[in-house]
Amino acid sequence: MLLTTLDITADAFEAATGWNAKPEGMCKGDACVPVPGAIGADGTLELTAVADLLGMALVADDHAGVWALGPESGGRALTTAIVPDIELPDVDGNPFNLSAMHGRKVLLVAWASW
Amino acid sequence: MWQALHEELAPLGLSIVTVALDLDPDKARPWIDAAAPTHPSLIDSHHRIDELLGISNVPMAVWIDESGTLVRPAEGASIQPSPFAAIEINDEMPERLQAVLREFKQMPQTGESYRAAIVDWARHGAESRFAMSPDEVIAASQPRSADHSRAAACFELGIHAESLGDHPAAIAWWKQAHALFPENWTYKRQAWTLESTPEGADSDKAQEVQDTYGTSWSDEFLATGGANYTVFPDL
Repeated sequence: MLLTTLDITADAFEAATGWNAKPEGMCKGDACVPVPGAIGADGTLELTAVADLLGMALVADDHAGVWALGPESGGRALTTAIVPDIELPDVDGNPFNLSAMHGRKVLLVAWASW
Repeated sequence: MWQALHEELAPLGLSIVTVALDLDPDKARPWIDAAAPTHPSLIDSHHRIDELLGISNVPMAVWIDESGTLVRPAEGASIQPSPFAAIEINDEMPERLQAVLREFKQMPQTGESYRAAIVDWARHGAESRFAMSPDEVIAASQPRSADHSRAAACFELGIHAESLGDHPAAIAWWKQAHALFPENWTYKRQAWTLESTPEGADSDKAQEVQDTYGTSWSDEFLATGGANYTVFPDL
């Protein structure tokens, strides 16, 4: 996740990472991680604290003036078996949301030209 | 190949979705045009499915059921025997080629059994012995360390630098990603191919990038060993 500011709302964080701010902490699937004091009453997140508690690397590119946030770590690659919201373009740039496949089994295959 | 499997299994309620991990969609276009897929064929130029689904090489696949739940984690997705493993090695071949082919022969040959498992799942759904429960899927996904998270962030900063036209900065970020997560071949092969592909060519699978990255695909393949080149499915 690329960031141009560290001021981020809980809603934007959830949309990008799947981690949802709840009274008990940040939750994804059955996993909940307490993040005391890191969720503001106005819906803002203390991003550096949340990233630290979830094991997400927050790396700054001072030259470009941006940050990148890595995925949660310290466990397995998958925190939940529920597929996150994935929207990707086709080769002509038309967006496709994977949720359109609900009701069918999907074999999602990663490949590359290289 | 995937189009043929899609046509075979679509009547059973299974659809293939292919996702090309290509920084430049136009590199994937000739392959997509040739395959003429009737299934969704998508481009992930930021390698987002690496971190979202645990993809770390190609081809790899995940199985998703009708409710949008994973029933198998990311694993090597060959569906036919490796043509390289079948090549007979002889002394006339360059030594490096012989060594590479020997490693191909060390790979578990899971292509046919993986294909059969997909067909079984298409027929039997959750009753298939190859479909895992949510807890099993999570446990069977690969470990993710703090370094892996940092590698994903560095790889993304490299893509951002590249998009700004700052190729040297991109290389520096990608080198960090490679060092932090050496088992992720998509980070390496994607970066290497930008250096080694001749002008006008679609791609370069040899990826001899000593000048820029001090390595090559064959150097790293031989060091890793064929048996560890991907997450071979345990069926």
